[in-house]
Amino acid sequence: MCGIVGYLDKRARQDSPVGKVVLCMLDALSCRGPDSAGVAIFCEPRANWILQLKLPEHAREDEAPHIALEILRDQGAQGQGRLVGAYLHLEFEAPSGTPELERILVERLPGSEIVSLGHQLEIVKQVGSPAQLEATYHVSITVGTHAIGHTRLSTESRVDLSHSQPFWAHGVPDLATVHNGHITNYHKLRRQYEQRGYRLYTENDSEIIGVYLRDQLAAGLSIPDALRSSLDDFDGSFSYLAAWSDGLAFVKDRFGYKPLIVAETDEFVAIATEEIALRRSLGSDFVAKEPAPGTMKVWTVTAVQPASA
Amino acid sequence: MSFTINCAGKSTRQINRELRVAVESGQREIVVRAPDARHNLGVALLQPVHVVFEGSVGYYVGGMMDGAHIDVRGSAGWGAGESMMNGTLIIDGNAGSGVAASIRGGTVVVRGDAAARAGVSMKGGTLLVGGSCGYMAGFMMQKGRIVICGDSGEALADSMYEGVVFVGGTIAALGNDAAIEEPTPEDESALADLLNLYSVPRPASFKKVVSGRKLWNFDKKELDIWKAAL
Repeated sequence: MCGIVGYLDKRARQDSPVGKVVLCMLDALSCRGPDSAGVAIFCEPRANWILQLKLPEHAREDEAPHIALEILRDQGAQGQGRLVGAYLHLEFEAPSGTPELERILVERLPGSEIVSLGHQLEIVKQVGSPAQLEATYHVSITVGTHAIGHTRLSTESRVDLSHSQPFWAHGVPDLATVHNGHITNYHKLRRQYEQRGYRLYTENDSEIIGVYLRDQLAAGLSIPDALRSSLDDFDGSFSYLAAWSDGLAFVKDRFGYKPLIVAETDEFVAIATEEIALRRSLGSDFVAKEPAPGTMKVWTVTAVQPASA
Repeated sequence: MSFTINCAGKSTRQINRELRVAVESGQREIVVRAPDARHNLGVALLQPVHVVFEGSVGYYVGGMMDGAHIDVRGSAGWGAGESMMNGTLIIDGNAGSGVAASIRGGTVVVRGDAAARAGVSMKGGTLLVGGSCGYMAGFMMQKGRIVICGDSGEALADSMYEGVVFVGGTIAALGNDAAIEEPTPEDESALADLLNLYSVPRPASFKKVVSGRKLWNFDKKELDIWKAAL
């Protein structure tokens, strides 16, 4: 099971109520995944970096933020942090970018994990229902241009915050994915990537999508081309969504094992595992359609790019 | 006078219970408002009632029904009409995967497009799609009739035993052991009657697809055919 949702405001409104829409969609799908819930929301681009750090379990709340800020300072970054739920939310300026930041943070704060990093992207996820997610993080008042969300029924790996979705594509700012299904060549891909030095942070097969995309981007592919090639490179069942600074896309496996439905109007694109999520959040004034197996499609905040495999 | 059920704020179980109570109390015209794509609505209706869903429905609408007439004024999710015995299910919008799967009788009409696996394993009845359909339509069909007015996806009628598929548009690819033959004058007149009855526009011509029957019996000399099919 699992439920995935995505919403993009095509008119590039920075204050679109994307949090409210994806939360309502997730709530409609919550019976598909009672284990955990999460959203990745893209706000207007900021000059500063936004980093969501999951603190180590049993971390001292008075100490960990201090250590994190110290690490940032060592890296020449200036910023501030505040504790929000299970996360240390950091905003900082880093003139030289962040290539080493993740490695150093995780090394000096063992058990911590960067849940998202970018100039627009912020991920919150936790064990429990979408309603509980709302209670902790007030997702419904968050505005932005686009967002994806996930409600999880665990089948292969443990139920905790780290194994929840969305997953940030570690190493690629502002790229996140949500996945419904099972990537059956996960262990093979994981071994190959680990041999090449990529680090995986969980045992959830869905995490491999972000690693794959990062690797394809490093090889020079565009995000749409990387998504398209994943149709051939992943085995098993998958309907997954990817979201980045100004884009949203779905990718659906060639056998169509996993449901997905898409609605598009002049104003928005909405994607969900089941139509019930679209109707409950957006009403009845649009047509929804199931995409064909083995296809993908990309939308951008300002314009539609034709693409299909 | 029709009887109205409003779905707002109700669970699927409550709605289906109200539907059942209405049918048992003799209502024969029932309007269901704001279904909002809920699943499993109107399953196992066994009386000749007319139910109109005013909006999209989720999975398995009208599944296992016997003799009811259901109109969906919107789209339907996976498995619409699955395993129905008899009756009519008319979907004004699009249908998700597996529409009319395993039906044994009756008629399912999709005025829009049908997604993958339309009419798989049909054991009777008719599936009429006004638009196009995805891949694997009619897979392992055993009896009955599928009519696609638009285009068909790949693997059409793969491994079908019996029954017939008509396609008005293009066929992306035939499935294993599916064969094209000329429609007979009787086919043409039955198709005209069917399209007239449900006011579905008629394409210029139909291709007829039937079982090639090469998979019916195993013959060592035809091992390659089996290898390809399996």
